[in-house]
Amino acid sequence: MELRVTESTENELSIEIAGEDHTFMNVLKGALLEHDDVSAATYDVNPEQSGGQTEPILTIKTEDDADPLECLEDGAVTVREKANSFKNAFEAAA
Amino acid sequence: MSYKCSRCKRDVQLDEYGGVRCPYCGHRVLLKERSRDVKEVDVQ
Amino acid sequence: MSAEYDVEFVEREDREARFLVRGVTPGFANGIRRAMVADVPTMAIDTVRFVENSSVMFDEQLALRLGLVPLTTPPVGEFGEDETVTLSIDVEGPATAYSGDLVSSDDLVEPADENVPIIELKDGQRLEAEADAVIDRGKDHAKHQGGVAVGYRHLQRVEVEGDLPEFEDEESRIIRGVIEDDGELVSTSEFDHDLSNRYPGKEVRIEDVPNAFVFHVETDGSFPIEELVTRAADTIAERATELEDAVQL
Repeated sequence: MELRVTESTENELSIEIAGEDHTFMNVLKGALLEHDDVSAATYDVNPEQSGGQTEPILTIKTEDDADPLECLEDGAVTVREKANSFKNAFEAAA
Repeated sequence: MSYKCSRCKRDVQLDEYGGVRCPYCGHRVLLKERSRDVKEVDVQ
Repeated sequence: MSAEYDVEFVEREDREARFLVRGVTPGFANGIRRAMVADVPTMAIDTVRFVENSSVMFDEQLALRLGLVPLTTPPVGEFGEDETVTLSIDVEGPATAYSGDLVSSDDLVEPADENVPIIELKDGQRLEAEADAVIDRGKDHAKHQGGVAVGYRHLQRVEVEGDLPEFEDEESRIIRGVIEDDGELVSTSEFDHDLSNRYPGKEVRIEDVPNAFVFHVETDGSFPIEELVTRAADTIAERATELEDAVQL
């Protein structure tokens, strides 16, 4: 997973997350939207065959001077916790 | 070069002077056999 | 912190299962589904060395067929990405070469099914080959898909609203999936997918239960259902951890 910041201001961040697809990006976006300090989160991916920018670009906007990069980190933690708690719930039932 | 005669089914060795003809039965149709080398193929 | 999930099995076999997950968002459910299909690595044949092939098919065609044979996948950590397992096959006609004729060099990696036909050999035809199996993801080639026919539906709640008009012909109401009836989970196959069989003469209302999804999962035999689902969750957690580490730098 290679990260490359394409745009960055105080409360907005666009970052390329190379090697990922909808599987992870959509879950991550969903987790970011649950974050209190995040006002907007979205991602864009182009098809592999289309040429140009084919790696997903995640854009985060934050409120109240929250650091978008920190929100991204929180988002990643949320995704990890969700995946682990899903796994635990599944194993408990299995 | 190793071939197989299409009529008498015998293995035939051809050299560059003999022309295309089976030395056993005189038949002129010879088949090229698959090489005995191991062939490596990638699964696509 | 964020999520409390609740999982309950509806149907369960070695290679096929139906289970309900409560408290899951549609996005996360889809993430799990996609991970099961494309991100859980399995073993499959990748290179074939033909010693003899006097069958009616080309080497490349047989290589593809061999590649598509599901192989059992060893436990996590047992196998590196660059390691290979060699399987060999030697069948002489008249006979049909089956996946069960593949002889593996490693007990952990064997054909998941014995009865996948590879090719019918006539008298005098022979297939002798050696194949290398590698581990990879479904994203790179469909032969590495561990989960086949993986999908989910909303859990549906059925409520009886009242009686149908007495002299009207009853119409069938077809639904598929799993319904919740007074807290009891009932697969629609139990009443032939027709609500008028279960509630004759009744007016019923169906609604999707929010954030409750019934997954239907089937594996190709590479590993049991439990393994597929937990490994799918692991791949997502792994990537989240990777992102965490990358952001901190």
